[in-house]
Amino acid sequence: MILRKSCQTFSRYVFVLVLVFCHGISWGQEVDYLDDESYEPSSVSDPLEPVNRFFFNVNDKVYVWVLEPVSTGYSKVLPSDIRQCVSNFFYNLGEPVRAVNCLLQGRVHDAGRTLGRFVINSICGVFGLADPAAHEFKMSPVYASLGETFSVWGVGDGFYLVVPLLGPSTLRDLTGTVGDGFAMTTHTPWNDDVLTTAAAHGVRSVNYTSLHLGEYEDAKSLSFDPYIAFRNGYFQIRAKQFDHTHQ
Amino acid sequence: MYISRIKLFIFTVCFLFIAGIFGIQTAASATPDPTEQFRPFIAKVTATLADPDLKTLSKREKSRRVISVVRERFDFREMSKRVIGQYWRDLSPSEQDEFESLFTQLLQYVYVDGIDDYSGQEVEFTQQRIKGQRAEVQTLLVDKQKTIPVAYIMTLRGNEWMAYDVIVEGVSLVRNYMEQFREILRKDGYSGLTDQLRKKIVELEQENKVS
Repeated sequence: MILRKSCQTFSRYVFVLVLVFCHGISWGQEVDYLDDESYEPSSVSDPLEPVNRFFFNVNDKVYVWVLEPVSTGYSKVLPSDIRQCVSNFFYNLGEPVRAVNCLLQGRVHDAGRTLGRFVINSICGVFGLADPAAHEFKMSPVYASLGETFSVWGVGDGFYLVVPLLGPSTLRDLTGTVGDGFAMTTHTPWNDDVLTTAAAHGVRSVNYTSLHLGEYEDAKSLSFDPYIAFRNGYFQIRAKQFDHTHQ
Repeated sequence: MYISRIKLFIFTVCFLFIAGIFGIQTAASATPDPTEQFRPFIAKVTATLADPDLKTLSKREKSRRVISVVRERFDFREMSKRVIGQYWRDLSPSEQDEFESLFTQLLQYVYVDGIDDYSGQEVEFTQQRIKGQRAEVQTLLVDKQKTIPVAYIMTLRGNEWMAYDVIVEGVSLVRNYMEQFREILRKDGYSGLTDQLRKKIVELEQENKVS
């Protein structure tokens, strides 16, 4: 069922491939810390800084008061192995959309690998609960998102954004996240009503946080201005994700 | 006569070829291997962290002991220079020393933070890259739950590779602090930065005492 729906998603996007071949592709820049250029400040503007700082504080409160206590309780109920399986399940559901994005970026080999992972993990990994593709077949996960696709097509970041509940992003990346979210709805099993969808996203967030407890607090306590520290962290992690030269 | 000339020619070519290989090998061996230098260092750090005596010490002593080991392969001067960027040149030598000392103390607590989390995780060396006088050694910190990629960026000082940046899960420590410090320097200048550093060090020290 999931496979059939993902094939439909696939076909819906194939026509866009034509666009890729009509436009120049600009690959993500290589992140090389041996070059001093990698130590230049990030160039994405932040004209909405006061608003972003406000939402950063809102998200911080949501994390400290709601997400962290709930995730701590959840981590005490479920052992980490099972939580890792839940994480694998959600990740696996995103593979078809990742494969489409790889194709849209002209990364045919990565698209094949991502689809291969999806098939292997859905069948041999029991609906994606395990990741035999990475462990048995040495097919490690590949990063791809619509935000990256836009970047490859030459679309600029716009400006930095802190989105309520979602966290750091940019205008382009947020558009990509929304697009990827809609593409996911074609094959995720919980699109009957808003409540079920929200519950699924809630479980995903709590599960993710339970596997990374304490990391946010540590990063915050070691920084002088957490807003800038997380903004810089976002751009550094993204640059690494967009860099496929050392895969 | 003709044959002996050919022999001489072949001999000369062989000699030059062997000498060439030998020359290349000598040139290559002139640059020490960063991973080979870093492996025993990491083993020493993990052995220090795993030492049961460490748990009995006060937080301050713990951090001092660990940082004294870390200092062997970390160039805190270079780190301080990079983290403050162009402002470094405007500082007097005594201010440079002061900043280096404060920044090292800050990093001491970054390490202290990791001491209590350490529970026998192993470090795997994955690959290395050398580019002139700089090198990157990539490692994986293998935990029960997850594997964290940690890369060390180094510069060659004489015959020793010394680290000046740590990249944890794609985030460079120097770059991250650099961006925060730039903002503080722009708003409050050098004295504002040192004030904040002192405040943070006291804050982290007390936070550690409480825990």
